[in-house]
Amino acid sequence: MSTTFLPCGIYHQEYAKEHAWWQTPFIKGKMILLLIILFFIIPFFADSYGLSLCNQISYTILGAIGVQLLIGFCGQITLGHAAFLAVGAYTSALLILEFPWPAFMLDWGLAYPVSIIVAALMAGIWSVAFGLSSARVKGFYLILTTMAAQFIIVDFIITQYVSQIGGRGQAFSIPPETIKIGPIIIDSDLKVYFMMLFFVIICTAVLANLVRSKVGRAWIAIRDNDISADVMGINVIKYKLIAFFVAGCIGGIAGSCWISNLAAISPEHFPWSWSLWLVGVILIGGVGSIHGTIFGSIFMVLVMEGLQLLVIPLADIYPKLLMDFLFIKEAAFGLAICIFMIFQPYGLSYRWQQLKNYFNLWPFSY
Amino acid sequence: MSLQAEQKNENILLELQDIHMRFGKVKALAGINLKIKKGEIHSVIGPNGAGKTVMMNCINGLYKPQQGTIFFKNKEITRLKPYERARIGMARTFQKVEVFGGMTVLDNIRLGRHTHFKSGILNGAFYFGKTAKEEIEHRTFIEENIIDLLEIEHIRHKPVGMLPYGLQKRVELGRALALEPELLILDEPLAGLNLEEVEDMARFILDVNEEKHWKVTCLLVEHDMGVVMDLSNNVFVLNFGNMIVDGTPEEVQKNPEVVKAYLGEEDLYATRK
Repeated sequence: MSTTFLPCGIYHQEYAKEHAWWQTPFIKGKMILLLIILFFIIPFFADSYGLSLCNQISYTILGAIGVQLLIGFCGQITLGHAAFLAVGAYTSALLILEFPWPAFMLDWGLAYPVSIIVAALMAGIWSVAFGLSSARVKGFYLILTTMAAQFIIVDFIITQYVSQIGGRGQAFSIPPETIKIGPIIIDSDLKVYFMMLFFVIICTAVLANLVRSKVGRAWIAIRDNDISADVMGINVIKYKLIAFFVAGCIGGIAGSCWISNLAAISPEHFPWSWSLWLVGVILIGGVGSIHGTIFGSIFMVLVMEGLQLLVIPLADIYPKLLMDFLFIKEAAFGLAICIFMIFQPYGLSYRWQQLKNYFNLWPFSY
Repeated sequence: MSLQAEQKNENILLELQDIHMRFGKVKALAGINLKIKKGEIHSVIGPNGAGKTVMMNCINGLYKPQQGTIFFKNKEITRLKPYERARIGMARTFQKVEVFGGMTVLDNIRLGRHTHFKSGILNGAFYFGKTAKEEIEHRTFIEENIIDLLEIEHIRHKPVGMLPYGLQKRVELGRALALEPELLILDEPLAGLNLEEVEDMARFILDVNEEKHWKVTCLLVEHDMGVVMDLSNNVFVLNFGNMIVDGTPEEVQKNPEVVKAYLGEEDLYATRK
């Protein structure tokens, strides 16, 4: 949409500098400040409510990154991403609960990290299986085939079969002290926060790196014009499937991280509306922008929490508001998307870029 | 004699043998034979709907001809997919510009070098030394050879979708060149350009055809007779899917059938002078 300008008077003399993420000392300082806030200020000054909010934001970001990759960068519209989060969560939970781990793996706390990797691969494979239809169909038709992923995986396979494993009924509860990484038992919001933060940073970095190298460029080319991408030597089907695989992997990681926060999972944690929600997040944040994923997630989580805070004092007067809060939330979601589509179609990230350009170019207007 | 024949064959870059392409009952191409020698500019002309673009799509792999064979560098490529043909050195531009509108000019050209990039997904994901080094190497190539040649330094960071049409055409040519092709298919590179841009584009085509580094064989589809007759070594005239004549520009201009079918009764050829 619009390019970001460098501040007045700064020029690059080497290509490497221009390829870098953080191009000026000011940006470097800003990012280091951000890291300090994320790693030292938030965890030690936020209460458990604040931390749980942060965890929810992280989970939304991890889910939305996959959707952003597919819709924003590869142009493959997907409406079934929650299914791959479910695959990740269930793979991880089943591995922890049912897999006969050797004693030393349990002692060293390797079971959960290994299960995250397996969950990522598993979700990636399922995602590729449902992405195969993208070889033949695009646009609206692909929306329906990806929706099939939701119905087949969550509503059929997981609800009907996977949930029955071990005879636990619908929900899998994960016993305390089974989720541990190395010697650390993940049992508090603070530890979940650090784990989620780690994965958010890794996944964001992976996506950002892919987008500035060969694979990501091929994705964007497929999004913009698949026929000429084919002519320029890109194996379109292969790169679409790679996109589905990477998106599925990130979804799997998101799902298997989330079980540490939930302590019990059931198919209801991954409804179809959650897939839709993730698409809404990237629409509000900005399609085709990594910033957008993060801004959208923060915005959606905070607005919904704000709504809740708003509703609670009103509950005395209108008790129905609290009873029907779920519907109010959905209405607010719809309204937010409508407002953004009309007034800010490029999302929050575009506004952010304009703001940055304003300061970079100051005192000139263009 | 056989040696001579072989040498002659080696000199031929692209060969079409008896290509038939039908859409239902419509015969778009009815038995086309074409030989393109290395290093020449070979033009294809014909009235609207003659089948020129269909022919380019067949050469390029977007269409599969029902009958006939295509040889590229003495290898049969009739069944290869477009991206496989790109890998062996075939690039094209489109009649209606088909650039990647959301990417910058630089990224568009970088994408043209897709087949030359070696780093895989893991390397790309963590941007290890190899990927970073490769990116810089290709960037240097693009800056020194393509952006400099096409004179688009000032717009290299602009999204292509926002550029004027003439510049988009230039970026598209740059993207095709980035592939370092042996055969460059130019489907109406001059359509919709003003006189100055036409002159620039003709100069670029001659440059890439003649400069030592490039030496690209060009297959040119064009309506601008002045440019076609001046640039090309050979001209191939197509009408309703049939070849009328294939020869030097002088022969073509003198051919009465061509004059009747395409050039019109008398002096349509002097469109721009």
